[in-house]
Amino acid sequence: MNRFVKLVNFELSRFMKIYLVLVAMTVVVQVTGVIVKANKYMSKANTAIYEEMLSRTEFIERYGQMGFMDVTRSLWFMGPIAICTAALIFYVFMIWYRDWFGKNTFIYRLLMLPTARLNVYLSKLLSIFLMVLGLVSVQLIILPLENSVLKWLVPTDFRSDMTVSQIINGNPLSMLVPQTFTEFVLYYGAGFMALTIVFTAILFERSFKWKGIIAGIGYVAISVVIFILPVLSMFIVGRAYLYPLEILGLETAMGIIVTVMSIWVGNYLLNKKITV
Amino acid sequence: MIEVKDVKKKFGRKHVLKGVSFTANKGEITCVIGINGVGKTTILNTIMNLTPLNSGQILIDGEKINKHSYEKITFIPDAITMLPSMTIREAMQFMDDFYDSWNQERATELLGFFKLKETEKINNLSKGNRAKINLLLGLALDVDYLLMDEPFSGIDMFSREQIADVFTSHLVEDRGVIITTHEISDIEHLIDKSVLLDNGVVLKEFNTEDMRETEGKSIVDVMREVYQQ
Amino acid sequence: MNVHFNKRDPVYVQVIRHFKEQIATGVFEPGQEIPSRRELAGRLKINPNTAQRAYKEMEEAGLIYTERNLPSRITKDEKVLRAVREELIDEAVDAFVHSIRSINVSADDVLDRVKEKFETDKDTRGYGND
Repeated sequence: MNRFVKLVNFELSRFMKIYLVLVAMTVVVQVTGVIVKANKYMSKANTAIYEEMLSRTEFIERYGQMGFMDVTRSLWFMGPIAICTAALIFYVFMIWYRDWFGKNTFIYRLLMLPTARLNVYLSKLLSIFLMVLGLVSVQLIILPLENSVLKWLVPTDFRSDMTVSQIINGNPLSMLVPQTFTEFVLYYGAGFMALTIVFTAILFERSFKWKGIIAGIGYVAISVVIFILPVLSMFIVGRAYLYPLEILGLETAMGIIVTVMSIWVGNYLLNKKITV
Repeated sequence: MIEVKDVKKKFGRKHVLKGVSFTANKGEITCVIGINGVGKTTILNTIMNLTPLNSGQILIDGEKINKHSYEKITFIPDAITMLPSMTIREAMQFMDDFYDSWNQERATELLGFFKLKETEKINNLSKGNRAKINLLLGLALDVDYLLMDEPFSGIDMFSREQIADVFTSHLVEDRGVIITTHEISDIEHLIDKSVLLDNGVVLKEFNTEDMRETEGKSIVDVMREVYQQ
Repeated sequence: MNVHFNKRDPVYVQVIRHFKEQIATGVFEPGQEIPSRRELAGRLKINPNTAQRAYKEMEEAGLIYTERNLPSRITKDEKVLRAVREELIDEAVDAFVHSIRSINVSADDVLDRVKEKFETDKDTRGYGND
């Protein structure tokens, strides 16, 4: 257990530099976005009021109030999220492959640690998971901050204020920040499952090389089929014979089965089939 | 004792090990000799369960390798197994964190012996010095068995001499060592047992002093006989 | 201590021979302390097992002795010491005779030459020392 915690700590610290850059980039770009958007709106208002001689009310009637939605819809806001997402997806693969590539092959060390190899697998899994949660938390923390910046730059008359939860709900962010605990478990559970499937597919490739790529793709396909079996069966039969709550229950069960299966297969590959 | 019993291993269609058997005793230096590409490294990898074997069995003190074995046996591959971005100190810290058998006192001693500073980054070390740190990370574990893959290849003469000196010291004494090499001359006087490997099979396994005593043959003499048949 | 080992004789035998030479020439004096097997292995750059074996054989032959846990020492037994010296001389003479015999020369002739060589060798050594 102790070694597992150390491994997680180690895996996190290996990516920490890039991770912090991602966090910093998100904060800087998003806050800049708020400032840029707010300034643009205000300069438009100024032009309209002082040059076109519109009254404040006329301007607001014509162009609408500025809201945080104007920021979240922009590239300034979504760009960093997209980059962070892409980086993490890339790192899902790199967290394994970096140990094999280069002249210093760290995988030797990891596989020779006096601890169950499953811990290596689980520590990488947990690290990715924690990094996702971390980025989401950062987003949640900086949202009110960005909201305040907006309030500070745009006078009350010109803006329609939103609470943080309103901001989240009107945005793709709502996937990342579920409103209920059940949703949280379902969304992140599904993400976790997807992660185990990909990890195990990577280990297939690492164990059997070219044949392993096919095995890995096959494994992903099988996992997906098992997971969507309840929905798929209804689709095939052409009749919705299950209540939504029953589907949810079945899907949860399937998700757990697929996750456990992936970890089990991954553990088997790491112990019996892996090649440095 | 490490027992390698009829180990077979293929990569794709290529049979790398075609039934390799030999033993290596504790307190002895066993040398697996063979030209490049005859499966020397693969043998060490299979002993450490770093690659699966197709058939056969490997026992370490009578048991199959498991997670606890890594406190008892260690492997020094031909490239360093630490992150290049680490300093020597960080690498040692990593070992200390994960291995109960890590002996910091010995590591410090080795660092002095090799005249290396722990603040140096692995990435910035010369090839010879990197090999020494690689060796240090293995030797400073209080393990019964040490496997080394070509510790002398591709490094300068003085580093080679320093590394050879390790074998005559208490750092290796009483442990079981398996070393692979394609170039015997550096260590001909040091090894207790030779295992001549070619094309995935063991051609001959012999005690070097006994061979000199009873047949008056050097290791190279035996190699010449065996390989040129 | 710098010994060049040949590759065909057992290393432990060569180590013992090296000790005998040192004893015969007086480098090792009777009763002198000798290095531990670990030290010896380090100095001669040999396997500690080999050093161990050499010491064991020498101990059995009475060349060295060990009292309790003290370091081993060169024997003080005059008989053994003399035997070592004689053994080395005999060996050298044997080798000499073996090689000279093939040239087919009489013993007297050889002995004269040996004596002559001994004298000149002593002279040149004498100059060398000045």
